[in-house]
Amino acid sequence: MKTKEINLVIIGFGVIGKGFAEVLADKHDFLRANYGVDLKVTAICERDGSVVCKKGIDLDNVVELSLNNNLKAHENWTTLKSLDVINKIRSDIVLELTPSNIETGQPGLTHIKESLKRGMCVVTSNKAPLAVEFSQLQKLAKNSGAELRYEATVGGALPLINLRKHALQVNNINSVQGILNGTCNYVLTKMADEYVSMDVALKEAQNLGIAEADPSYDINGIDTGAKVVILANSLLGMDVSFKDVAVTGISDVTTEAIELARKHNHVIKLIGDVERLDVSPRLVPINHPLNVSGTLNAVTISTDIARDITVIGPGAGGKETSSSLFSDIIDIIRSK
Amino acid sequence: MKVDMKLGLKDVPGSLLWALEPISLHGGNIVSVLHSRNGKDPVSVQIGFRVKDQKSLDLIKKDMKKHTIHLTEILVEGRKYYSKKTLSIIFIGHIIDKDVLETIDRINEAGLVSSIDVLMPSPEEKSSVMLNIDVDNGNIKRLNKTILGICKEKQFLLIRSL
Repeated sequence: MKTKEINLVIIGFGVIGKGFAEVLADKHDFLRANYGVDLKVTAICERDGSVVCKKGIDLDNVVELSLNNNLKAHENWTTLKSLDVINKIRSDIVLELTPSNIETGQPGLTHIKESLKRGMCVVTSNKAPLAVEFSQLQKLAKNSGAELRYEATVGGALPLINLRKHALQVNNINSVQGILNGTCNYVLTKMADEYVSMDVALKEAQNLGIAEADPSYDINGIDTGAKVVILANSLLGMDVSFKDVAVTGISDVTTEAIELARKHNHVIKLIGDVERLDVSPRLVPINHPLNVSGTLNAVTISTDIARDITVIGPGAGGKETSSSLFSDIIDIIRSK
Repeated sequence: MKVDMKLGLKDVPGSLLWALEPISLHGGNIVSVLHSRNGKDPVSVQIGFRVKDQKSLDLIKKDMKKHTIHLTEILVEGRKYYSKKTLSIIFIGHIIDKDVLETIDRINEAGLVSSIDVLMPSPEEKSSVMLNIDVDNGNIKRLNKTILGICKEKQFLLIRSL
């Protein structure tokens, strides 16, 4: 098989960036043998500078340096900022993996726009830019002829957008609903299983690294709301943004409510209801497919032909999410 | 006229007899009783019977309501005559302090609260209340509007069914 060289730029080298780099180091030969691609990372951008190497960066080395908070010690460290890299270094695909800011969509929004304007395809795990300016970004991608792919923005490793694209083509999708935030699911599961308060469950989630130091983004339903916007626009053909979603988080859910639900053969889960643009805690029958435990995510897509399809899997984690990033990358390469 | 009635019965001794009584009292001739015992409570029961006329059926329905029997569907000569759904919700808030009877009365204008289960950790803290509400299919929108109105006004967190 003839090998095609594809240059990648990674913007944001946190949990997902490092997870992606580790999987690429591990799967590089597999991808070359099975898909005929030689994926080469030529730049990795962090807040205060970038590692740039046109020949390709040694990924094992860069992951180790980053884990030791010592990326600046890399021999190819430069003070180039992410926008400088986008403007100066030509790549085939830009991976936008910076953290989400749901109010402004920044800095990811600018990274995506500038990359698309330069005709570079973008693969992102960053929800905020899409939750804020979904249709504008789609238009920009269309006009530039570059692809914008975002499977990793919703449900981590769960294939949802690509499932619709590649396996449910003939179906009309009537509704989509599910558990889209692993932190909330962990907390609610813990409260139900061990009859502990939300504070205790949350503290344990933080100790295990499942919840952020400031978990409000997850607990207040904002993260789920952003994902609902992306699914509404991409699977149900809506044209909505975050402000259109009614969001109620789980912070006021009591152990007594969870106990009552259990007594009546139900559990309480934070559900993103895409058709209704609603995020709220809901009663889920104990034997329902959406009753999944721990940090798992689960989404049911209801269609006219295939009927209900439920996808369950890890909704977070660097390596797990990279599965979705690779799915988009391979798709882009195949379509070229 | 031939009537098929679906109802949900508590899984306790005597509840079936209790449910059949209004039918025999108003001249119904019971032809079949199907019990669906799948470990669920309430147990789903389907009763087939013949009655003289509409008036007899109305009397049976009225007495069943008095017996607090949970009717889910009635078919008359094989055609749907009446169909109900049970919605389960949980309210979290100061439900008892904020006139629980008034809350139930308002819900009963659109549906019928068939059971209520309350957990109060202490008088100062918020209580959690689970309600099962029977509602005619045609009245679900109105019921939802009523519930949302109550939650907004009394500052309850609402947890709805899927």
